[in-house]
Amino acid sequence: MPQQPQSSDDPDRPRLWSGIEELSGDPSFENWVNAEFPSAMELPPTARRQFLKLMGASFALAGLTACEKSPFVAALPYVNQPADEAPGVPRYYATAVTFEGYAQPVIATTYAGRPTKLDGNPDHPVTQGRSDVFMQAAVLGLYDTDRAQGPTRRGEPATWKDVAGYIDEQRENWATTQGEGLRLLIGSTASPTLLRQIDELLAQFPKARIHTHEAAARMARHRLTQAAYGQALDVHYTLDACDVVVSFDDDFLGPGPDQVRNARAWSAARRRNANEPGIRLFVAEPVPSLTGVVATRLVADVQRLPILTQAFAARAGVEGASMPDISGPERDWIEAAAAACKAVAGRVLIACGGCCDDTAALWIARINDALKNIGRTLNFTRPVAGPTPAGTINDLVADMNAGNVDTLIVVDANPAYAAPMSLGFADALKKVSATVHVGLQQDETGYRCEWQFPLTHALESWSDARAVDGTATILQPTVAPFYDVRSVHQIFGMLLGEIDPTRDGAVRATWQTTFGGDFDKHWAQALHDGFISGAAPFVTENVSAQAIGRPAPAAQIGEGEFDVIFHPDPTIWDGRFANVGWLQELPKPLTTLTWGNAVSIGPLLAKHFGLVNGDHVEVAIGDRHIEGPVWVMPGQAEHAIALSMGYGRTRAGRVGDSLGYNAFEVMPADGARLAKGNLRKVGGHETLAVTQLHHRMEGFDFVREVNASNPTLPKAEQQPSFYPPWPSSKNAWGMVIDLDSCIGCNACVVACTAENNVPVVGKEQVEAGREMHWLRIARYYKGDVETPRSFFQPVPCMHCEEAPCEMGCPVHATTHSPEGVNQMVYNRCIGTRTCSSFCPYKVRRFNFYDFRAPEDSPLHAADNPDVTVRSRGVMEKCTYCTQRIEAAHAVADKDSRAIRDGEVMTACQSACPTRAITFGDINDPQSEVSRLKRDGRHYALLEEQGTRPRTTYLARWRDDAGDHQG
Amino acid sequence: MTQIFSPAADTWLRLFLLGSLALTAGGVVMIVGVARSDYVTSTNFRPSQPIPFSHRHHAGELGIDCRYCHSSVEKGPHAGLPPTATCMTCHSQIWTNASMLKPVRQSLAKGKPIEWTRVAKLPDYVFFRHDIHIAKGVGCETCHGRIDEMALTYRAKAFTMQFCLDCHRDPAPNVRPVDAITTMGWKPHGDARAAGNAIAAHENIRLGELTHCYVCHR
Repeated sequence: MPQQPQSSDDPDRPRLWSGIEELSGDPSFENWVNAEFPSAMELPPTARRQFLKLMGASFALAGLTACEKSPFVAALPYVNQPADEAPGVPRYYATAVTFEGYAQPVIATTYAGRPTKLDGNPDHPVTQGRSDVFMQAAVLGLYDTDRAQGPTRRGEPATWKDVAGYIDEQRENWATTQGEGLRLLIGSTASPTLLRQIDELLAQFPKARIHTHEAAARMARHRLTQAAYGQALDVHYTLDACDVVVSFDDDFLGPGPDQVRNARAWSAARRRNANEPGIRLFVAEPVPSLTGVVATRLVADVQRLPILTQAFAARAGVEGASMPDISGPERDWIEAAAAACKAVAGRVLIACGGCCDDTAALWIARINDALKNIGRTLNFTRPVAGPTPAGTINDLVADMNAGNVDTLIVVDANPAYAAPMSLGFADALKKVSATVHVGLQQDETGYRCEWQFPLTHALESWSDARAVDGTATILQPTVAPFYDVRSVHQIFGMLLGEIDPTRDGAVRATWQTTFGGDFDKHWAQALHDGFISGAAPFVTENVSAQAIGRPAPAAQIGEGEFDVIFHPDPTIWDGRFANVGWLQELPKPLTTLTWGNAVSIGPLLAKHFGLVNGDHVEVAIGDRHIEGPVWVMPGQAEHAIALSMGYGRTRAGRVGDSLGYNAFEVMPADGARLAKGNLRKVGGHETLAVTQLHHRMEGFDFVREVNASNPTLPKAEQQPSFYPPWPSSKNAWGMVIDLDSCIGCNACVVACTAENNVPVVGKEQVEAGREMHWLRIARYYKGDVETPRSFFQPVPCMHCEEAPCEMGCPVHATTHSPEGVNQMVYNRCIGTRTCSSFCPYKVRRFNFYDFRAPEDSPLHAADNPDVTVRSRGVMEKCTYCTQRIEAAHAVADKDSRAIRDGEVMTACQSACPTRAITFGDINDPQSEVSRLKRDGRHYALLEEQGTRPRTTYLARWRDDAGDHQG
Repeated sequence: MTQIFSPAADTWLRLFLLGSLALTAGGVVMIVGVARSDYVTSTNFRPSQPIPFSHRHHAGELGIDCRYCHSSVEKGPHAGLPPTATCMTCHSQIWTNASMLKPVRQSLAKGKPIEWTRVAKLPDYVFFRHDIHIAKGVGCETCHGRIDEMALTYRAKAFTMQFCLDCHRDPAPNVRPVDAITTMGWKPHGDARAAGNAIAAHENIRLGELTHCYVCHR
């Protein structure tokens, strides 16, 4: 039975709880979570008899499936085989996908010309081979059947010839008016070619105007630098150079274009020293974030942030700062943070996030000035992404309503959905006579525009883009376009008057000047490397906060009002990834919610309103309101309500439509990510598709901790076994997961899904506890519900030496390999699910239905051809990416050598932005994984079970000095 | 009291018992026999092909090396069927108007692949790699038989799991020097087992590690 959480005497083995339902100790809930498959709890008692009958029949008939005659099928060779193409041998391309316009450099794996998997580019200076969920899932977007497949006019199919004729006609009009009345609305882009083409268009038609819009973008950060330094700047943290970071609501390790860079640098810094954590974080924030999880966290309401920053400024000795009134816990946190900063002067960073107001931003800027952080741990550049200067969507809508806009071209943006509804973009659009949407999908905006010009996916395009630091990548196509689509550069080429522009002409033209005379050599080198080496053109700006006036006193919150905070969704962002099944089914970090969004509130507020998870509430801002299910978030501040964007879409496609509520309904017209609003309980309740309470293990101390004064866990005694040890072959595979580095970002889960053809099962099946992810990121809490500490723990198959599943299987479908891998043989499995009930770690997944895509679906091209696509009725689980092990064996055996350490990388390992996962040969004492298994922080999950798992963990460091909440 | 059973009843019962025993045993023999029959394993059957391609003529009589057409056999999992262009390297010069070769010329003209019927096929759940077998001294002939004597190609060996496992358990009798990989009718000199063991040792074949499930199934 799961233990009731209670205070533990042993600080190394904290009592953990995983949901607020568990804290309440309701016995019916306990029964529910203890069931192997919670949905089976609802079956009548006689179902068992029926089940046994069916099982008997299945056993009897299972053998018949082997009676199939080996069929003769067609074999189709090439007519002209491309040079150095060999069937079944993957080819790799260095290119990039884009996220909010920024390049996410990738190495794309293609089989027979079809990209199947994206990995980070290990040579890239920013990401160094690391990745995030959006990069991993981008490949599925390529095969999305709901993409716009050809140009349309008023919903009717058109040809590119029609488009060319239309543009020609329009160009004649613009030529007479110099572009008066022509407006472009463009999503943020860091493509030098696109920015050049926009400039050329403005040069041709000087009276045309450019506007830019990103719902979730880093505009918030530009607002803060505007407040602090008087100009919009990109902020770059040098976390490798920090020992202490104090963040006021800045979730720099959370999802976003900067995540990979910051997470990589943070984890490298964290591992700097052998016997203590190398970098410590202090975070004050209203809504729990991934950064808060790995920090000494202070729960701070939004209106406390300016006061806290002022207090920290006073404590840090900033001129003009007086100590305001602060509470006991706040004082403790500030004392701890300030003391930590003082001890490591010069290696400190103070970060400022979206919930900070101008006052707080100014205080933080002054602290950074006083501590002389700029240039050392903190750099500013002019914005990498453009276009700049550009108008806002608010200017555009005002002009549209005033009748000043004749032609509107929306490029790669969806303002009809992803903009505040109160702005009235959709209504204003009706006043524009000529409207064009240029985008990958015919989304809410495309549907309302006269023309839809469909775009190529990044993996089909010639393009270019800069990464967050300004390093440029040339995007090369990994495959010819599937549909009758064109790249954004081709469409801009047409707008500029070119006739039938080539696919790569514009990109070549952009780099012609940079590469100069030896163009072909540089071009080939840039395509090979996946980035353009040499100095990034973005130089650090010299700024100081002193020029701006004194910080204003903080504003107070009204009675009965709450701070409503708008967050982009951690998996589908502002809705642009809504039709990507992998991302919809991905449990969101901290909530583990899938297929929807919820209104996140703190436990005190929930108590006040008498709300439990799934109860419907109404959030009102001004005269606009939305209704949605509530999620009680442990550790959220009392007056904060968090809404997540991206849901409530109507034209996303078959996957993403009609899920959740639309936060843009209530967003203030100025697009502010923070507003004052009210909360009201309304009738109604719904079941949320959350995964944390599925696949539960028995026990309470899954996550262990050590501290710098006592950095070694006691060595566990090995449990005795009746069975003799397995003989080992030369290699013995094992894995170590460093819990101190895990930030719960889920990149490993998407990477595993992509690599191993893990199916998407849908909302109902997730609710029934049947999600298929081979790897789950378990989330646990410790302490009270108002200020808990949070823990993430990735749990893949443990590959036990004494595996209960192997003993349980009646048909030997799961067996032990001489390399120590617990093997799952699909073609032998008859689906009794005994192995799953025997597994103490609950890592086995069963195919209750045939989740394969229909036969004619293009999604089959995204499958990894080296991994079986499982059908109904078989069990599956993590295989340690055996296809990669066997491929490495084949390569090594051909050279008659041993496999080198690091030659086999599992998909989760290569995706992890913090390198928390290490895989290798434990028979080799020199290997990285062997070294980690000798570490003092090493422990095995549920070691008292005597399963002797091959996958083990490193305990988390506890930052004792600031552990006042523990 | 009247007799319930006739005098012959005992004999009938015995005959019945004997009959059912024979039927059961015969059934088992039949099922095993059918499962291993040429019909079920598709061995010794020559499916019709769009072009009656003769390996006997090309590989046997003309002596074209296997790897000339099956060019990726050393590089990856699949040996590869020759693209139409490979056929045309010769047939643009000889037999240019043969009616038998019309489908080849049409394939090239229309850019449509020739629709061969696959002869050597493994089930989808088997992940076989040609390249490693070739590198470790398993000759073409070992699995595909005397291709050089086949006028129309057929499956010479039943690709059952047992066929694979026999060799994975004990490769020595089935390996040959790497320079004789494509040789048809190769015979070891002297003691076959000793020669095989020497080759296995020289090629570093991971004896004893080749029979676990994930080697072929994943």
